[in-house]
Amino acid sequence: MALSGLGLVIYVIFHMLGNLQVFEGSHALNGYAASLRDMPILLWTARIGLLSLAALHIVLAIQLTFRNRRARPVAYAVREYRQASFASRTMAASGLVLLLFIIFHLLHLTADVIDPFSADRLDAEGHRDVYGKIVHAFQNPFIVALYVAGQLGLGLHLTHAVTSSLQTLGLEHAAFNRLFNAAGPTVALLVVLGNVAIILAVFFGIVRG
Amino acid sequence: MMKLDPKIPPGPLETKWDRRRFSEKLVSPNNKRKIRVIVVGTGLAGASAASTLGQLGYQVECFCFQDSPRRAHSIAAQGGINAAKNYQDDGDSVGRLFYDTIKGGDFRSREANVYRLAQVSTQIIDQCVALGIPFAREYGGQLANRSFGGVQVSRTFYCRGQTGQQLLLGAYSALCWQIERGQVTMRPRTEMLDLVVVDGQARGIVVRDLVTGQMSTHTAHAVVLATGGYSNVYYLSTNASGSNVTATYRAWKQGAAFANPCFTQIHPTAIPPGDVHQAKLTLMSESLRNDGRLWVPKMARDHRPPEDIPAAERDYFLERRYPRFGNLTPRDLASRAVKAVCDEGRGVGPGGHGVYLDFADVLHQEGLDVVRERYGNLFEMYQRITGEDAYHAPMRIYPAPHYTMGGLWVDYNLMSTIPGLFVIGEANFADHGANRLGASSLMQGLADGYFILPYTIGHYLATAKFTPVGEDHQKSRAALQRATARISRLLNSKGCRTAASFHRELGQLLWNHCGMSRNEEGLKLALTSIPALREEFWRGVMVPGSGEAFNQELEYAGRVADYLEFAELLCHDALHREESCGAHFREEYQTDAGEPQRDDSRFAHVAAWEYREGASPALHKEPLLFEFVPPTTRSYQ
Amino acid sequence: MKFTLNIWRQKGPGEKGRFVTYEAGDVSSGMSFLEMLDSVNQGLIAKGEEPVAFEQDCREGICGSCSLVINGIPHGPDRGITTCQLYMRRFPDGAVIRIEPWRARAFPIIKDLVVDRRALDRVMQAGGYISVNTGGAVDGNVLLVSKDQAETAMDAASCIGCGACVAACKNASAMLFVAAKVSHLALLPQGKPERTRRVRAMLEAMDREGFGSCGNHR
Repeated sequence: MALSGLGLVIYVIFHMLGNLQVFEGSHALNGYAASLRDMPILLWTARIGLLSLAALHIVLAIQLTFRNRRARPVAYAVREYRQASFASRTMAASGLVLLLFIIFHLLHLTADVIDPFSADRLDAEGHRDVYGKIVHAFQNPFIVALYVAGQLGLGLHLTHAVTSSLQTLGLEHAAFNRLFNAAGPTVALLVVLGNVAIILAVFFGIVRG
Repeated sequence: MMKLDPKIPPGPLETKWDRRRFSEKLVSPNNKRKIRVIVVGTGLAGASAASTLGQLGYQVECFCFQDSPRRAHSIAAQGGINAAKNYQDDGDSVGRLFYDTIKGGDFRSREANVYRLAQVSTQIIDQCVALGIPFAREYGGQLANRSFGGVQVSRTFYCRGQTGQQLLLGAYSALCWQIERGQVTMRPRTEMLDLVVVDGQARGIVVRDLVTGQMSTHTAHAVVLATGGYSNVYYLSTNASGSNVTATYRAWKQGAAFANPCFTQIHPTAIPPGDVHQAKLTLMSESLRNDGRLWVPKMARDHRPPEDIPAAERDYFLERRYPRFGNLTPRDLASRAVKAVCDEGRGVGPGGHGVYLDFADVLHQEGLDVVRERYGNLFEMYQRITGEDAYHAPMRIYPAPHYTMGGLWVDYNLMSTIPGLFVIGEANFADHGANRLGASSLMQGLADGYFILPYTIGHYLATAKFTPVGEDHQKSRAALQRATARISRLLNSKGCRTAASFHRELGQLLWNHCGMSRNEEGLKLALTSIPALREEFWRGVMVPGSGEAFNQELEYAGRVADYLEFAELLCHDALHREESCGAHFREEYQTDAGEPQRDDSRFAHVAAWEYREGASPALHKEPLLFEFVPPTTRSYQ
Repeated sequence: MKFTLNIWRQKGPGEKGRFVTYEAGDVSSGMSFLEMLDSVNQGLIAKGEEPVAFEQDCREGICGSCSLVINGIPHGPDRGITTCQLYMRRFPDGAVIRIEPWRARAFPIIKDLVVDRRALDRVMQAGGYISVNTGGAVDGNVLLVSKDQAETAMDAASCIGCGACVAACKNASAMLFVAAKVSHLALLPQGKPERTRRVRAMLEAMDREGFGSCGNHR
C-alpha cells in the first residue's frame, strides 16, 4: 500500500512540475510533450508501469478496506474521534473520488474522447498542441469545477497518504517526527496549488492561447 | 488432631535454606512431565510460580477469576520492591533486611522464613531485570533505589509509581511464554469454589466457569493457592473489588489451618472516604511520606482552612511522637496515630475523618518542578478524585485496610496443614508477622513464586504416594456437590436486599470493632452480631439471574457469604490475642503513653485455627523461637 | 444530579443487543462513573431485574478491566484516564449519556458491556516476552541501561492492556497494544536478541485474531 502509493505520489509531483511549463508558453510545454513522445518505449513503459501501480494500489486498498470493515462488524451508535484526522478517516472515499477523476482526466486530455475538439491540432513548430488543448479545456467552467474538485480529493488523500506511508516504512524518530508529520500536508498543498494554479490561470485569462 | 510442624531446618540461620535445598529430593525430568500441578491465582506469586513450574517441566493448570492473568491485584502496587543489594553502600545487608523485617513485624514471624526471604531478595532483582522490567535507573545506567516506609537504608527498587504493574507484567510475560510452550494451560474467568482432598492430600479443585456458569472439577498431584488477601472483608479497602477470601476460606473448611487472621494492615495514606456509594478507597503511595508532613490543628474542631492555621497551632503528630522516624514511621503506628488524633476531634475534612499531608515545605525548598517530577501522577490522581489541588492546599488522608499479614498456615516449605496444598504470596501467613513493611509484599510474592515453592514442591512430589484421582472420584464428586449446592442456595434465596448492602454492613461492623483498634467488649459484640447478620443474609439476599450464565451478582454474593463466615474467625483471633503487636492493637494492652504492649510470655506464637463443623474454631499454637534476634520493644521513638 | 443513560444490553454472545434507557437519580458529583452505575444496578437488583454487566476491578486505573465507550469515546471524555477514574462532576446535570461496549470482531461480547479480550493475551503469548528461565540471571547492575532509555521503555511498558486502543481505532487495530510491548522490550538490551522474531510473531498473531490494520494516525 505504502510503496505503490509513494510511487504514485512521485508521479503526481513530476506531472505537476511538467505541467507548470504552461506558464512558460506553448513552446516550452509542447516541446516537453514532444520530447516525451519521442521516446515511445519509455513512455509506454512508464504508462503501463503507472497503470499497474495504480491497479495494485486499488486492489490492496479494497482488500484493506474490507479487512478493516470486518474487524468491527457492529458499529458504534455514537462516535467521536480524538486523534484520527478527517483525511485519514476518508481515505477510501477520497480514493474513490480520485479514481473517478483520473478516469475522466484520461478520457478527457489523453484519449481525447470527451472533447475531441483540439485532438489533432499542431502548433507552429509542428508539435501536437498540448498547450492549446489545455487553454481550450479550462475555459469551460464545468470542466474547471470538475478539475478543482478532483484536486481537492487528491489533496485530502495526500494529506494522510504521504505521512502514513513514511510511518509504514518505519520512518520514525523523535527528532524528525515533525518533519514526517508535515510531509503529507505539505506535499498535498504544493501539488494542489501547482495544479489548481494552471487551471485557474487559464480560466482567468492569465494564460492565453 | 491437627499437628503444626514448621519443618524449619536446624543449624545456623545463614545456611538453613542451602541445606534444605540440598537435602530435598528431586523429581526426575521424565517424571515431571507426568505430574500435574494446579495454581490458583495469577498475581506476582501465582504467575511466577506457574511459569517457573512450567519451565521445570511440570504440567501446570493455572486459574484466575479475572479476564486475563495480567489483571491480578498485584498490578496496583505502587511503591517498590525491597532487596538487600546494598548498591547504595549505605550499610544494607541480608542481615539488616532480615532484622528490619523481623522487627517491623513486631516479632511475630518465623526467623528462618524471614532470613530466607532476605537472602533470595537479591535474586529477584536480577531475575526481574533479565525479564525486561524497566526499573528506574541512575544517569550512569545503574539501578536506582529509594528509601521506603520505616527503614533507614535505600533498598527499594521501583518503576515510577507502578512497580507492581511492571513486576506483574514481567511474571505474566514469563507465564505467556510457558503457555505458548504448552507447559501451562491458562483458565481465566474461572473461580475456585472448593478443594478436593483425597486420603488427606489436596488433589484438586472445584471451579465455576464465570462465562458459562459450568461447574467442573480439576484434579492434580498438588494444588498451589496464590489467591491474595482478604482486606475486602472490611467492604471499603484499597483492594480491587474482586479480591476475595473464598479460595483460602474454602480450603480452611477442608482442613487447612488459618493463621493470625487478625493481623490486618491498615495503610495510613489513603484518600478519605466520601459518600455512602463509595465502593473503594484509593491508596496514595507511601512514598509521599518521604516529603509530605502529617499534621492536624492543635485545637479540636478547628474549622479554619489549613493556610489560616499558623505553624504554632499545628501538631505534626508523627514527628512529635516518633522523632527518630518522623513521617516515615511504619504503617501500623502511623495509622493508629492518625486515628488517635481524629478520635480527639482534631481530624479535618468531612466527618473529621482525615489529617493533612502537607507538601508546603518541600515545595518551598526544592521547588514545584522537583515535586512534580517525583509525585506528579499522585497529585493528579488526588485532584481527579477529590477535585482539590494538592500543590496549593495540603492533601487530606485517612487510613484504609490494605494488606493482610494473616493467611493460611504454612510450614517452611510453604505447605499448609493439608499435604499437597501449598500457599504462597499474601494468601499465606508467611513472613510479615504482625505488620508488613513497605515494598515487602512484592518481594515476598516473587520470592515464594520464583525461588522457594518450585524447590519445595518438588520434594513433596518426589516423596508423596499418590493414588489415581479423577473427576469421577467419590471425593471429587462430593466437592462438586458441595459447591453446586451452595450456588443453588444463593439463587433460591429470594429476598430483597442486595449482597452489597450486607457487605457494607459487615464492613462497618468490622471496621468499628475489629479495625485499627480493638477491645474485648467490641469483639464480643461483633461475634454475636456477625452470625445474626449471616442468618439475615441467607434469608434476605436477592440474587437475580441464573447459575448457568455469566452472572456477576452471583459471583459477588458467593464471596460475601464467605466474608460473613470468615469475619467471625477474624474476631475470634483478635479476641484471643490479648496483647498489642504490630497491626493488632488491643486497647486494654497499651502503655500509659498509648504505645502498644506486646506480651511475649503468652503470645509469642502463631495462632493457627482449625475449622470444626458446627463449633467454634479450635486454636493451635506454633511457638515462635527467637534464636538470633532477641525480641525487644519495637520502638521508633 | 440526574442523568439519562442509554446502555447497550445484550444477553449473551452472538445474541441481538439493543439500547435500553435508564434514569440515574440521586447522583452526587463526587461519585465515580462506576459508582453511579453501581447505584443503578443496586436499584435493578432490588427490583429483581438483572443488573447491567460491566467490568471493573482495581478502580484506580491500573488493572485495565474497565471498558466502556461513553458518548462515543472509550473511557469517556477525559484524556489519559480509565472509566473508573471518571467522576460525575465531569458531566452537566441532566445529561444524556450513551454507554457501549468495546466493539471489535476480536472482542466478542460476553454480556451487556463485558467483552472477551483474550485475543490480547494470545498476541502476548506469540512473543511478548523475553525467553529467560528463572534462576541464573546475572547481577542486575551488569546490564547498564541509560536513564533516558529506561524512561522511554517505561513509557511503553505502562500500557495497561485494556484494549481501549482497539475500541478507539477506526479499524479496530491492536497496533498500539503491540507497539507498546515491542517498543518496551526492544528498547532494553535484554530484549534485543529476540526483537525481530518478536515483532513478526506478534503481528502475525494480531492478524490471526481478526484485528484491523493500523491507520497510522498520530
